[in-house]
Amino acid sequence: MAGPLAPTRAPETTVEEHGDLDRPWVTIVWNDPVNLMTYVTFVLQELFGYDEPTATTLMLQVHHEGKAIVSSGPRERMEHDTSRLHAYGLWASYQRDS
Amino acid sequence: MKPFRAARGGLLVARLDPAEARILGLLLDQLEQLLAADRADSSGDPVIERLFPAGHRSDPALAEDYRGLTEQALRGGKADDLATVRATLPADGGEVRLDGDQAGAWLRTSNDLRLALGTRLDIGEDTEPSEEIVDEGDHQLAVYYWLTALQGSLVDALVAGRAGRR
Repeated sequence: MAGPLAPTRAPETTVEEHGDLDRPWVTIVWNDPVNLMTYVTFVLQELFGYDEPTATTLMLQVHHEGKAIVSSGPRERMEHDTSRLHAYGLWASYQRDS
Repeated sequence: MKPFRAARGGLLVARLDPAEARILGLLLDQLEQLLAADRADSSGDPVIERLFPAGHRSDPALAEDYRGLTEQALRGGKADDLATVRATLPADGGEVRLDGDQAGAWLRTSNDLRLALGTRLDIGEDTEPSEEIVDEGDHQLAVYYWLTALQGSLVDALVAGRAGRR
């Protein structure tokens, strides 16, 4: 019989392996001249649960570099994340990570 | 306008002048027509392209998949938000009092209105308000900046309310 830790450790490892296989998709937010900086930061916190400093860093990256990756994972989830951003009017798209 | 502020009970409160409330009502009418228009009739309209952007930028098949999967729900969500704003907007001006869900609807709808106007007016990073209002374009630009102030105050009030809850 395995020790008490074994059953929880095994599924975690499996999830991690799947994560690696499905990883190469990302959701990107692109810079646009209309969305307020405070609004973009607010939406990133609201939708992805980022803390304020993380959301601000991503917003500034969008503003200064033209885009930022805001989430990564399987394609279906990136489609979903993109549509949640579109519901808030952020200029977002998903693609395979390059 | 008295901009939005966080009030007791997690409410967001603002006050609109009669003229402001009427302009907002007209903008809601226009957005509603735009959202209700047949996709075939409005495709290529830059405002529609901005409100429903391509999900994938370089693969038209994936972008089409994405549109098929999401556009109906996105349109429905925007229409629901718009109905919430209309129901909580005092038609002849006065106090606007919003709970959290209603504030979310105002946030998204005011953003859609700014995106629509901003696209029509070709707003860029360095666009500034007109110094005097001479033509229709100056008027629309003034409305755009009024919406910016309204939405900006709502974001700030929501952030302040969130900090207050912690």
